[in-house]
Amino acid sequence: MISPGKKKLKLTIRVWRQKGSNERGQFRDYLLQGISPDMSFLEMLDILNEQLLDHGEEPVAFDHDCREGICGACGVMINGQAHGPDNETTTCQLHMRRFQDGDTIVIEPWRASAFPVLRDLIVDRSPLDRIMQAGGYVSVNTGQAPDGNCLPVPRHDQESAMDGAACIGCGACVAACKNASAMLFTSAKVSQLAQLPQGQPERAQRVLNMVAQMDAEGFGSCTNTYECEAACPAGVSISHIARLNREYVKASFCSTAEPTIPMK
Amino acid sequence: MNEAMNNILNSRVPDGPLSEKWQNCKNEMKLVAPNNKRKYDIIVVGTGLAGASAAASLAEMGYNVKAFCYQDSARRAHSIAAQGGINAAKNYPNDGDSVYRLFYDTIKGGDFRARESNVYRLAEVSNNIIDQCVAQGVPFAREYGGLLANRTFGGAQVSRTFYCRGQTGQQLLLGAYSGLMRQVAAGKVQMYSRHEMLDLVVVDGVARGIVCRNMVSGEIETYAAHAVLLCTGGYGNVFYLSTNAKGCNVTAAWRCYKRGAYFANPCYTQIHPTCIPVKGDYQSKLTLMSESLRNDGRVWVPKDVNDSRLPSQIPEDDRDYYLERRYPAFGNMVPRDVASRAAKERCDAGYGVGDSGKAVYLDFKRAIEEQGEQRIREKYGNLFHMYQKITDENPYHVPMRIYPAVHYTMGGLWVDYHLQSTVPGLYVLGEANFSDHGANRLGASALMQGLADGYFVVPYTIGHHLATANLKPVSTAHPQFAAVKEDVENRVRKLLSGKGDRTVQEFHRDLGEIMWNQCGMARSQVGLESAIEKIQELRDQFWNRVYVPGVGEELNQQLEQAGRLADFLEFGELMARDALERNESCGGHFREEYQTEEGEALRDDANYAHVAAWEYTGNDSTAVRHTEPLTYDTVKMTTRSYK
Amino acid sequence: MHWLKAFLTSSVGRKFVVGLTGLFLCFFLVVHLAGNLLLYVGVDAYNEYAHKLHSNEELLIIAETLLFAALIGHILIAAGLTFTNWRNARNKSYRTFDSKREDRTTPMSFAPDQTMMLTGLFVLIFLICHLSDFKFGLGWENLGESYSPAQKALLVLENTWRQGIYLVGVLFLGYHVSHGLQSAFQSLGLNHPKYMPTIRRLSVLFGLVVAIGFGSFPIAGLVRSQTNPTSVEQVSPVEGGEAVDAETPHSPEH
Repeated sequence: MISPGKKKLKLTIRVWRQKGSNERGQFRDYLLQGISPDMSFLEMLDILNEQLLDHGEEPVAFDHDCREGICGACGVMINGQAHGPDNETTTCQLHMRRFQDGDTIVIEPWRASAFPVLRDLIVDRSPLDRIMQAGGYVSVNTGQAPDGNCLPVPRHDQESAMDGAACIGCGACVAACKNASAMLFTSAKVSQLAQLPQGQPERAQRVLNMVAQMDAEGFGSCTNTYECEAACPAGVSISHIARLNREYVKASFCSTAEPTIPMK
Repeated sequence: MNEAMNNILNSRVPDGPLSEKWQNCKNEMKLVAPNNKRKYDIIVVGTGLAGASAAASLAEMGYNVKAFCYQDSARRAHSIAAQGGINAAKNYPNDGDSVYRLFYDTIKGGDFRARESNVYRLAEVSNNIIDQCVAQGVPFAREYGGLLANRTFGGAQVSRTFYCRGQTGQQLLLGAYSGLMRQVAAGKVQMYSRHEMLDLVVVDGVARGIVCRNMVSGEIETYAAHAVLLCTGGYGNVFYLSTNAKGCNVTAAWRCYKRGAYFANPCYTQIHPTCIPVKGDYQSKLTLMSESLRNDGRVWVPKDVNDSRLPSQIPEDDRDYYLERRYPAFGNMVPRDVASRAAKERCDAGYGVGDSGKAVYLDFKRAIEEQGEQRIREKYGNLFHMYQKITDENPYHVPMRIYPAVHYTMGGLWVDYHLQSTVPGLYVLGEANFSDHGANRLGASALMQGLADGYFVVPYTIGHHLATANLKPVSTAHPQFAAVKEDVENRVRKLLSGKGDRTVQEFHRDLGEIMWNQCGMARSQVGLESAIEKIQELRDQFWNRVYVPGVGEELNQQLEQAGRLADFLEFGELMARDALERNESCGGHFREEYQTEEGEALRDDANYAHVAAWEYTGNDSTAVRHTEPLTYDTVKMTTRSYK
Repeated sequence: MHWLKAFLTSSVGRKFVVGLTGLFLCFFLVVHLAGNLLLYVGVDAYNEYAHKLHSNEELLIIAETLLFAALIGHILIAAGLTFTNWRNARNKSYRTFDSKREDRTTPMSFAPDQTMMLTGLFVLIFLICHLSDFKFGLGWENLGESYSPAQKALLVLENTWRQGIYLVGVLFLGYHVSHGLQSAFQSLGLNHPKYMPTIRRLSVLFGLVVAIGFGSFPIAGLVRSQTNPTSVEQVSPVEGGEAVDAETPHSPEH
């Protein structure tokens, strides 16, 4: 609702500043005034940056792109919560009406050894790409496909596969996990393809390799605290992790496949 | 104008009847033998639907591909944000669809300003796209019997749109991305993320490489190849506020334009009717909600200008369902340009709602009554959720407020039937080219075009270039690379030397305001002329007064944005100039001087049934306009009517 | 055996083993508790159970071996995983951390799932004490063979130190399994919308049963030591059904 009458907020922003991956970082406090409750969180950061530029300071670097909650580029820890206090919401879709006048907001980058900080709030999430490279695909070349309706997919399976496929790859699961585990991310793709007929030929190999790659990247292991699920902006459920576990055991004991990714 | 120069634009449309052109073309193209493919390097810039699909397909064929994107991961390209769906002429619902019908709807939707042959090919390969995506594991919506489901979309009277909830673009992109990742693992694609292309290297008249900035280290890097594919999307961010991602930019295309690629129809921009209205001057971006909402939502405004009641208190009799009233045949499902203009017309006439008066209602009351809230939730749950997040209003109870916003750009670099630009070896795919949507794009066609170009067109046509162009070995040691690199470095230095008093964002906002007011939904000669002047002025100011902090050799987001804005400031002028030269209204281009008494667009087929392609001549204000006539052998040009 | 090595060194495989051994240990807890509860039925019933258990030596050895293997495997692998997580996962911790789980009822730093290593450690300490009391009889050598299993149990439970250690130990145990049981199902991949909510509830219930069930013995011991202590010389047979209790003196793992 467009509500001009809403009270503007005065906030203290405590944000992590770090010039480069090899430099030491520290928290800095900035005072912001006149923040409209209808602003998105990133628009608040925009205002902060404009203010910093006015003072000749370097603006806070943060990843963002689509600003509609789907690209997965944005994501910071806000008062210790990945993507802030709302469930199923990315940082860009979080609005300042969730905060109170006078609040101090602590903003930190995703922290995980596998995600080194590049600058301020920007981290390197390329390990997630490498997990996908290890098997997050169906090996079908362009031009080889049969008619789309050749393979009926029960609607229930398709819906469940879509639940996993909805992952936006933002890394909040890693950030929220006390072990910095990437299990929710990895399982979302494993689960999607395990439930579809297209994924069957590589089903065993896929899970073995993706898990091996995940381990090799230095992510922690899952200890079932389910913080990932709560932090996930795409609502990916930990039932996908269970499916990954199942798939992994099945692949290890009931198939001839072996991981081809070198162990760490 | 410049009729004499028309022959420069050889569209290479093959002979034969429309339905056989693509087959004929494929039959006649030269091939690269399988073992020779690995001798060729191909650069693909951008990893959206077009880029990722092309890079994956070419690598599968055996070429060595280098793929670049400015995002931190190839999966984040803005194709991901497309919600509604992808068209294909499968005719699964048995409602009489065919390749011809999809072709015809697309041509008509584009207001007869697209090349017949290209559009027909697009419709032809649309079915292969669905097959390919299904095979990749894209979880398209299914019927209870397990077969693929379809929904209807604007501008069509058949149900031909395939979808994955409200995340179709995301799922299609992840499909293409998975193919790309597979090729990265296979060593056939080298992936360069967080790399921004800043220039094109042309050697002996042929595109042979690019210059990039490594966005982490800030280093300016050069890459050589046998061909360059530009898949860098559209330029909607010239308006500052658009539904595009914040990073979307025209830089790569603009740099190619400056190296000899013609820019076609830059004035064709699509204004999407169902976006969340602007709420404050801090706004950084507009959010689109899928057009599919119009399947069940009804658009209305109060009948009385001064009606200040809450929407729920306005009885049916006092509501004006203006789309249903004006266009009874298509109703709320008219194409985007028509719906957008109708909304603007109502708001300009004072019927707009909301605090700003710049919004109309999109009401789901009847749909919820008829189908139940649960069914509506299943169909649009994520869109309703998103709307509520942003506006703090519950659309299940209160009608949504929507207003048009810049969404897609039909214009782009000029390409021939092979998708090659006027620079040999430079291919342009997807939204970055101009080829398939004419003056207006139908919903669910952008995904189709991006994937068609990447999966099923360029893999064939590029072979012809490689096999016939007689390319000499060129490495980055070639002096031309050093020369272009120096250009880029100088430009970066120049941007950084600006220690003025205004920020990049302020300039961008100013540019956006000029573009939206004078070159947006409605344009006029006076407005466009003043826009050109203002843009020139703003450009001068920018170079004198912009403040870019930091240094080049680091991760510097302000520097990135400054470079992109500098190009938008040049491009905006060309766009206004193109709009000024096109003295007609067609599709997304609406000139106030050219309309019917009822306010519908008035096309001028006698004088403007052509593509305008602009050639850079060394000066930002004196580009030369070339034309490629559009001839329609199969369809008859008619006035679009959705009544 | 490359595949097995890969399985046992992977995070998922190791977690699977922790879950499997955990489930087995939970199963043992059920058996153990059932046996112990016989003390409430009567000293004779309890003694008979203890003797029957020891009548088949081979079976006992197999069972005890399995149990020790599971226990040691469970501890070593879980500790190894935790150690790796601590060392590797995050080289810089957050300034603040706050859960986004809406179903959290306990503060984050005390929640069962966050403290598995700590509660596990306390359980281990308790277990060492418990095993030394009942399996190896350390500190109770003077009791000799003349005492029945029930008498031994009663004597141990009336010791104030033991009451404290046992009570605290089983409370931690209950806390540990309240997360552990459902976590084991998850690690084994047994999660389905149909039954997972039930398992999660059962898991908490199981934790309560374990804590209350086992916890009742040291409490009863405390009550008894205040009112009617068992003397070392002359063991008074417990009357009727309201016998005070003990732990199984020679049940499989002790």
